[in-house]
Amino acid sequence: MLIDGVAYIGNWPFRPLRYNTAEGMLERMDRCGIDCAVVSSLNAVLYQDVMNGNRELAEQVRGCSRLIPLAVINPAYPHWKEDFAYCLDELGMKGLEIFPGYHNYPLDLPELKELLKMAGERKVPVRVPGRLVDIRGRHWMDTPENLGGAAMKTIVELSPDTDFLICSCNTAVAAKAIQSSAIPHPGRILYDFSRLERFSFSPSFQSLLKTAGEDQVFFGACQPFQYPEVQQVKLYYSNLPEETEKKILSGNLMEIFMPEQK
Amino acid sequence: MKNFAEKMELFSRNRVVNWHEHVWFGADGELDEKLMDGLMEDVEQTHTDQIVCSLPILAQKVTPEEFRHCNDSLAIALKKYPNKMKGFAFVNPGYRRETDYEVHRCIEELGMIGVKLYYQYRIDDPVMRDLIETCIRLDVPILMHASKLNYHPEEQPFVSNGPHFAAAAREYPEATFIMAHISGGGDWEWSLKAIADYPNIYTDISGSVCDDGLMEKTVQMLGAKRVLFGTDGSYSACIGKMIGADLTDEEKITILNNPDFARYLVK
Repeated sequence: MLIDGVAYIGNWPFRPLRYNTAEGMLERMDRCGIDCAVVSSLNAVLYQDVMNGNRELAEQVRGCSRLIPLAVINPAYPHWKEDFAYCLDELGMKGLEIFPGYHNYPLDLPELKELLKMAGERKVPVRVPGRLVDIRGRHWMDTPENLGGAAMKTIVELSPDTDFLICSCNTAVAAKAIQSSAIPHPGRILYDFSRLERFSFSPSFQSLLKTAGEDQVFFGACQPFQYPEVQQVKLYYSNLPEETEKKILSGNLMEIFMPEQK
Repeated sequence: MKNFAEKMELFSRNRVVNWHEHVWFGADGELDEKLMDGLMEDVEQTHTDQIVCSLPILAQKVTPEEFRHCNDSLAIALKKYPNKMKGFAFVNPGYRRETDYEVHRCIEELGMIGVKLYYQYRIDDPVMRDLIETCIRLDVPILMHASKLNYHPEEQPFVSNGPHFAAAAREYPEATFIMAHISGGGDWEWSLKAIADYPNIYTDISGSVCDDGLMEKTVQMLGAKRVLFGTDGSYSACIGKMIGADLTDEEKITILNNPDFARYLVK
């Protein structure tokens, strides 16, 4: 089984995307041998009110068990607490995603801490992408903000009992930063490897595996922004033990999203 | 990963030439042979038949002594891997006389097959003319770092991108330019639009950016025969883009072993 832990449905204002509807994504997933994808609303990243995007997403994935929806919540926006609860209770969403850079709030915003704690209390994970688009090709009206290792450490320290999915950044660096924290983190922290390299010039994928361990690494393809096959190549050439590969391909995410099937 | 091994046969069953890689100096300022040997293990593992390397200095000011040392160090690598590795000479065209001498030395004595430029000057700067004319006479391609950045452009004030290459190609239609790493040079749509009409500008797919649609757009605008396989330190990304792109097998095979460039390899 292969689960893509980093996927989005919706549009992006700066370039056309392909396979970015539920139907399109399923088509590409079939081609790539991906069984399930953890998706959030790309439109919610830039809509004033994220709930418009969350509702659109819920509509698109309704009845499709292969797409696991996350709620995008902006804790600096009115009514966020009720919106988050609505997404979990009424729209069937299975987790949370935050975008501090796009939603323009600092990491010491008290409501952010409250939101992350709520996620922990509700036992749903929080996905935190370092960025959506590489800074080199980013449009001048896009945000210049990225979340790096230090920011990721700050975020996970806000809510030690919450599970986090850290993705779309140099997660080898982020894992080291987070492990240096003096605050124990009973919740799980998983890392994708979409921005890491497998080969000898900069073998950061191996570095992540060494730092975080096989129980904390997951497959994230960054659909529809990136070619999913890029991540598959890293695993193909890594010759990992079968059990390790299974955990990375699906096992670690199953423990979070489908504990009953594990 | 069901059927993924089958997809990877694209590399094992076809000839693969990587036109954009590097060897580097180690902390002691000499060729890092360990890193180079690791690269060559990757070359074997990924079924790459030939790899073209250079050793540039990523700085605004590079002296003739420095670029000579780069090329002498690359020559050590070429001697160690004579069948697999080819080389591009790195120069700073601001030193016109020394550059001319060095390009001749590298091509005629050290067996290199092209010239690698960084961002010391733009490709359409008049200071480039002597070098471009030398490359035309020697019949070697010019691979140049390229980037169109919207954020932090001040880090590379003289970097070239599509319109600069187009201006150079207009002036020198008989030269062969490779606009480097379409997957690592910022706004790729900008550069593709600018170079599309100039058949003597090629690009390589190297770089860590894996934007979906990039490969298809590049081939749509340039044709597969103006696209070269390359990695520039991002082997996983570049193999993955080749595997994942919605291109025909024929287009992919052309990129992996571009027939327009075959003659440079047998010089």
